[in-house]
Amino acid sequence: MNAIVFDQVSKRYGDVLAVDDLSLSIESGTTVALLGPNGAGKSTSIGMLLGLLKPTGGEISVHGHAPEQAVAAGELGAMLQDGALIPELTVKELVDLVRRLYPRPLPLDQVLELADLGELAGRRANKLSGGQAQRVRFALAVAGAPRVLLLDEPTAAMDVESRLRFWRGMHDYAAGGRTVLFATHYLEEADQHSDRVIVIARGRLAADGTAAQIKARAGGRTVRFTLGEQPAAGLDLLPGVTAVEVEAGAVTLRTADTDATLAGLYRGTTLDVRDLQVAGAGLEDAFLALTRES
Amino acid sequence: MLYYAKTEALRMLRNRRYLIFVVAFPVVLYLINAGIYGKQTDDSGVPYSVALMVSMAAYGALAASMMSSAVPWAQERQTGWLRQLQITPLPGWAIIVTKLCAAMLLVLPSLLLVSVVGVVVEGVSLPVGTWVPLLLALWLGTLPFVALGLAIGSTLSADAAQPAAMISMFALALAGGLWFPPEAFGDTMRTIAELTPSYRYADLGWSVIAGQGLPASDLLVVGAWGLALGAAAVFLYRRATVRS
Repeated sequence: MNAIVFDQVSKRYGDVLAVDDLSLSIESGTTVALLGPNGAGKSTSIGMLLGLLKPTGGEISVHGHAPEQAVAAGELGAMLQDGALIPELTVKELVDLVRRLYPRPLPLDQVLELADLGELAGRRANKLSGGQAQRVRFALAVAGAPRVLLLDEPTAAMDVESRLRFWRGMHDYAAGGRTVLFATHYLEEADQHSDRVIVIARGRLAADGTAAQIKARAGGRTVRFTLGEQPAAGLDLLPGVTAVEVEAGAVTLRTADTDATLAGLYRGTTLDVRDLQVAGAGLEDAFLALTRES
Repeated sequence: MLYYAKTEALRMLRNRRYLIFVVAFPVVLYLINAGIYGKQTDDSGVPYSVALMVSMAAYGALAASMMSSAVPWAQERQTGWLRQLQITPLPGWAIIVTKLCAAMLLVLPSLLLVSVVGVVVEGVSLPVGTWVPLLLALWLGTLPFVALGLAIGSTLSADAAQPAAMISMFALALAGGLWFPPEAFGDTMRTIAELTPSYRYADLGWSVIAGQGLPASDLLVVGAWGLALGAAAVFLYRRATVRS
């Protein structure tokens, strides 16, 4: 059964198309990363899923219901990018307040444990560090035991320690058969913490698969060299090449087969190639390649 | 929702600005003024210590109703706490109704404290039949001011809501004769005062202690302001929370 379905969804702000004909479905019980650079449409998609924004076109459903109904039924919990706490209330009071708004919440102690807030329960919200406040906001997102959890760049402003505790909590929560969708612009986070990665760029679906598939699809290696004033036309026809970038006389080829590409470059062209480098594509490279293609 | 209202009230009671300006200030002002003029009586033979108690209780209630609604509400809208609530099952109308109830609840400390000081320190003694309508009128009569506070909070940013609420509150207190007796006003000021919700609101209290009951004209004006500002608050709240 699908927990989340986007059917040809688009969202326009004036002249800007933030989400462009996006269709995807997420199966219940999976943990999915929504990966994309800033401005890719991640937050807009999450806002629409929560009924905070209305799509310009298309339809969204959460467990078969419209987002507004899903929110009213307590099916959704979320950690949004900017969300202040009430400074005069303690961590425990805040969590309990939000908890009680849901029909079937988790026990208070369990929420505090999931977010690793045991020692901070009695502290006022205005005395928390940035990372601690983020963990409280995670606690607020899970307090109502929603079946679908949405996290918009959850680790922003977290230090290493908070990050570790946060991911542990997220996995514990997801382990109960719940669906988690988290937005991030770090491929590493997507790689380590999700079952499936959906890459979006400029509001469109750029790739969809496991982290390993995404990395493979992005092309294995890069070949870099200097071409100077010589024309770069035809480089994309070399064997194995999946993408070509030329910047100020410097060429970067992305290739699935380095040997074939180099053989073609030296034997098949008359170009004067200098400063040649071959490198394995890093995660960030893979990600950049994917988001640039679309 | 009840728990939400309780936490709303609790947070304000922990807010230093609320405690000083709203709860302590009217009491201190009452003690100073009653110390100077308390022994005199006004035209209808009511001692100033009683009339001032009503004025200061009315001022405290006015301040409480506006300060506990406008600024926190504007802040919550701006900082994303409102959005946090919008994504819970709590319906939108419940948020604003809870805010209203909590603000009404927060009127009580200053209202009751001024009354207690009146009785204990200034020796004010009124029959129960006077206390009950007096306190009820001064409590429920704050509805238009809470609505005004929420309207301000729905419209302005937190930085702008603070001075806007302060200025409205001082203007209402001055024009309504809560600080200086309205008898001291000139004719023009008097005419203006009679149109304000604050004068009519305080006049409910002054009339009760003068033994005249609750004048229908006052109830009418306060009620009309309550309806108008309430409608404005609902409209502005909807505009502020509309899903785009």
